[in-house]
Amino acid sequence: MPDGASPEPARLMRKRKINFRPWLRALHRDVGYFAVGLTVVYATSGLAVNHLKDWDPNFHQVNRTHQLALPLPSDDEAAAKNALGALGVREEPREVYRASPTQLDVVFDQRTFHIDTTNGVVHEEGQAARPLLRAANWLHLNRGKRAWTYVADSYAVFLLFLALSGLFMIPGRKGLLGRGALVALLGAAVPILYVVLSGGP
Amino acid sequence: MHKPNSELEKALARRRFIQTAGAGTVVLALGGVYVLSDALTREARGQTREDGRPRLPPGQRVIQALRPMGGEPGDPSPSAYRLRIHGAVEAPFELTFAELLALPQAELALDVHCVTSWSVLGAKFKGVRVADLAARAKPKASARYVIFEAAHGYTSNISLRDALKPHVLVAHQLDGAPLPRAHGAPVRAVASDFYFWKSAKWLTGIRFSEHDEPGYWETRGYSNHADPWKEERYA
Repeated sequence: MPDGASPEPARLMRKRKINFRPWLRALHRDVGYFAVGLTVVYATSGLAVNHLKDWDPNFHQVNRTHQLALPLPSDDEAAAKNALGALGVREEPREVYRASPTQLDVVFDQRTFHIDTTNGVVHEEGQAARPLLRAANWLHLNRGKRAWTYVADSYAVFLLFLALSGLFMIPGRKGLLGRGALVALLGAAVPILYVVLSGGP
Repeated sequence: MHKPNSELEKALARRRFIQTAGAGTVVLALGGVYVLSDALTREARGQTREDGRPRLPPGQRVIQALRPMGGEPGDPSPSAYRLRIHGAVEAPFELTFAELLALPQAELALDVHCVTSWSVLGAKFKGVRVADLAARAKPKASARYVIFEAAHGYTSNISLRDALKPHVLVAHQLDGAPLPRAHGAPVRAVASDFYFWKSAKWLTGIRFSEHDEPGYWETRGYSNHADPWKEERYA
């Protein structure tokens, strides 16, 4: 060898080249696992809220009419007790409110009985929560504020990481040098085409 | 000709008949609802408001009853209810539910337009005109906007000039019955010339302001002005 150097160090240097993909895959996998719960919450709520005009994603509506026998007691509390007994309601009302000379309201947490004291017609109306969906929507719409903003921001960062790391996980023709690039471009074209074709905001 | 003579064949034929009849009934029923609803839309498209604008704003379809459209409900208790009139006014005041009912009432048939594209024509609201509340509160000369304040921090904003129009209400009845909880009981705002999110449910306050303050939806990508005839749905 003219310089007296061995070819070994150069080969070793090539071998020591860091392969980032195993790290990327491990991170992608764990961030993906971590994001499962939040994805279920946001995706379920997203589907529910997207169709807000067709249904109420937070509550079932209660709307019934009943008929009471007359006469009702003239005292409001007694009339309410009498009405609830006749309707088989055992809950204690939050309040009994004389809304007008002919209307007595019996208010519960989830429903109200509007009693027409002249004809005994009772209009029961209220809302019963859809427990899981209501909680998911509450989180999705960030109505709770406070610390949830940080959780939601972190989740958005996780999603960005999952999307971007996914681009580089597979080398070669199935990765960004081939099929991967094509599919990624198709996916990116969806919002772009929608904005262009719909006229945008 | 083949006759269904076994019990099994008869059962299968009966099942097919029931399935076909059921499917036909569903298709006819849904088609009927669609046709009826579209007839309402077509009829409304031929009508004109007193102010010369078409009765049905562009992109809207007529349905028969208000839809709830969600929101975080407030306290439905009439006895605990308070409506605060405050902000840039000379004489701020507060009303109980009973005091609100004791004020001069207006009962108006109003067209409601939801930003999600449904409209209800002639919904009957009963309540107190915002203009009457303003007359008592005496807005300062510098007041330019009205902010409807509702449960859980929800707000919406319209100009003072719009809020003082005679069909803008603080409503406690809908279609002759007490306002349902899903629609903001005991009291909601009704500013029907705007997309309906401006008509805050579970209303707790009316604040007069010198500056515009975009509200809950206005700061989440929806239009600040929300004129249905200009299709101002989004910012």
